[in-house]
Amino acid sequence: MRHAFTIGGTDIEVWLARDGTGHRLSGDAGTARVDLVPAGDGAYTLFVDGLSQPVLLAIDGEDLHIHIAGRTHGLRHLDPTRRFADAGSVGGGDVARAPMPGTVVRVDVAAGQAVVIGDALVVIESMKLETTIRAWHDGVVTSVHVAQGQSFDRDASLVTVTAGG
Amino acid sequence: MSRFPFDTLLVANRGEIALRIIRTARRLGLRTVLVSHADDAGSPASAAADQVMAIAGRTGVAAYLDADQIIAAAQRSGACAIHPGYGFLSENAAFARAVAAAGMAFVGPTPDAIDLMGDKVRARAFVAQHGFPVAPSAIEDDDPATFVERAHALGAPLLVKPSAGGGGKGMRIVRDMTLLAREIAQARSEGERYFGDGRLYVERFIEQPRHIEVQVLGDASGTVVHLGERECSVQRRFQKIVEETPSPALSPAQRAQICETAAGIARAAGYRNAGTVEFIFDNGAFYFLEMNTRLQVEHPVTEMVTGIDLVEAQLRVAAGEPLGFAQDDVQACGHAIELRLYAESPSRGFTPTTGRVLALRLPEGDGVRVDVGIARGQRITTAFDPMLAKLIVHGADRTDAITRARQALADFALLGCETNAGFLDRLMGDPDFATAAVHTGWIDAHPDLAAEPDLDPRTRLALAAVAALSTRAVRDAADAVPRLHASIGGWRN
Repeated sequence: MRHAFTIGGTDIEVWLARDGTGHRLSGDAGTARVDLVPAGDGAYTLFVDGLSQPVLLAIDGEDLHIHIAGRTHGLRHLDPTRRFADAGSVGGGDVARAPMPGTVVRVDVAAGQAVVIGDALVVIESMKLETTIRAWHDGVVTSVHVAQGQSFDRDASLVTVTAGG
Repeated sequence: MSRFPFDTLLVANRGEIALRIIRTARRLGLRTVLVSHADDAGSPASAAADQVMAIAGRTGVAAYLDADQIIAAAQRSGACAIHPGYGFLSENAAFARAVAAAGMAFVGPTPDAIDLMGDKVRARAFVAQHGFPVAPSAIEDDDPATFVERAHALGAPLLVKPSAGGGGKGMRIVRDMTLLAREIAQARSEGERYFGDGRLYVERFIEQPRHIEVQVLGDASGTVVHLGERECSVQRRFQKIVEETPSPALSPAQRAQICETAAGIARAAGYRNAGTVEFIFDNGAFYFLEMNTRLQVEHPVTEMVTGIDLVEAQLRVAAGEPLGFAQDDVQACGHAIELRLYAESPSRGFTPTTGRVLALRLPEGDGVRVDVGIARGQRITTAFDPMLAKLIVHGADRTDAITRARQALADFALLGCETNAGFLDRLMGDPDFATAAVHTGWIDAHPDLAAEPDLDPRTRLALAAVAALSTRAVRDAADAVPRLHASIGGWRN
């Protein structure tokens, strides 16, 4: 099965096949004989077509943090089933997501409430600045994902407003 | 027995600076007590302190700003002195007074010096009064009838500021002097609107200035020495990112002049303990900007070239000891650079990032110092300042120091939260930085530096290989022999 990873903002498809004692990688990033040998405490040796280099690796759920050649990179594994579900969903435009990490100062709406464009939904604080998140279309608040005082990460869902209603 | 009149020091701070203070205090034989909010559980500073006193607050920041709670904790722990670090209560004169009133030593200047330098208009007037350079200016209150005339005489470009202002509100830059009267009228109306006060002052606007500051140290007997300058021109949104000493912009004569000026200002103020006099430097001319009455974030570059431990000097002065060295004893050797590692995304407008420290590898070696406030397992949130660590390098000269800085950055790895490490490496490799052709607006004027460069094909292939080989689902699909990945182990996906 093809698997995809987000690398540097781009989705890259890869697939792996057994090749003797190692593996053969192919896909958008290129083709090579590859192997990854653990060296203890998150350290590995990566072999690409016989050339080796040290790697530091930490995995947190779908997120992979890789330090290689003096740089740290953040990658995300895109689960094949979820990718399919996301592609078929029409709800993506209904969720207000956090533009950056912060804290909820105030929640101005409740689930079930009708809102029109421009209505204040939540007030968040990031980098010592308060920002009001407003309704971007008319509709009904179907879900408030955060509570006052709660802190959130970037991209966290804040409020879902279903269009129409 | 300790040579100090106190044997227990309370550190009223957190993060890297708390750990840095604890290290010196322990070396001097002092018992160390740290106040710590629950958000900082598991920090390296709390592991290093002899005793940790919990402090509470609506937020972590509120707890570290709670003077009464901290003084009470100090008294309960038997502390005889409090080091405030930087930020939080470090420049709070009322706190310094309360510490003294509670019978403890405040590791910092006198409350009067904090008051004087904390009031920016008063500090500026004090410095000008003693004959030291401030930016040419005209203050409306001095003689309202001649204000516009006096402003004109300063010459373009000008910065018009509300007297009651702050935060940049109501400030206007005037480059075309025929518009001066109109700009003054608009600034006045904005001043009235924002601050209920329409009075103005005008000062010469310095285009593309450099930020140069001088470390000073004074003791109770009135001895004041300077420990040379630091250049901190590489900033984003008025926040320093890279600091170095010596400044590559100064001639030896200019260096002597700016450093002597700083020491003179400190002497005039009867300054005691460590402080920093900040200047705007522009084509050979320099003007007093402000004085910070505390230890600075960037103090390690001064320590690297002088070999003087500034925290030790602070503690000795607070204990009533003389400095123990004179100006001629201060010798600087080589070049030092500090890089501030922030939890932030340069390519997304330097917005903060969050995460958890899953792995942490720090650079080591000759001429490399790391002041770090985080440990493996700790969460990085937006509750506090996003600075995670400082990499400080020392080289024979500036080129050597830059080479070491880039090596130290490559050896530094924090997995679990995006940092500005890649951006710092781009700064170190930039031709403008190599020739020191920088100013405080340099980063804002070069957004390309903040952009994440495209991955080269080799790195992309290597990353794809690591990702594929370490993701269980991908390997499972490829591996016909299930025993294999079991023998390699460690796949968490």
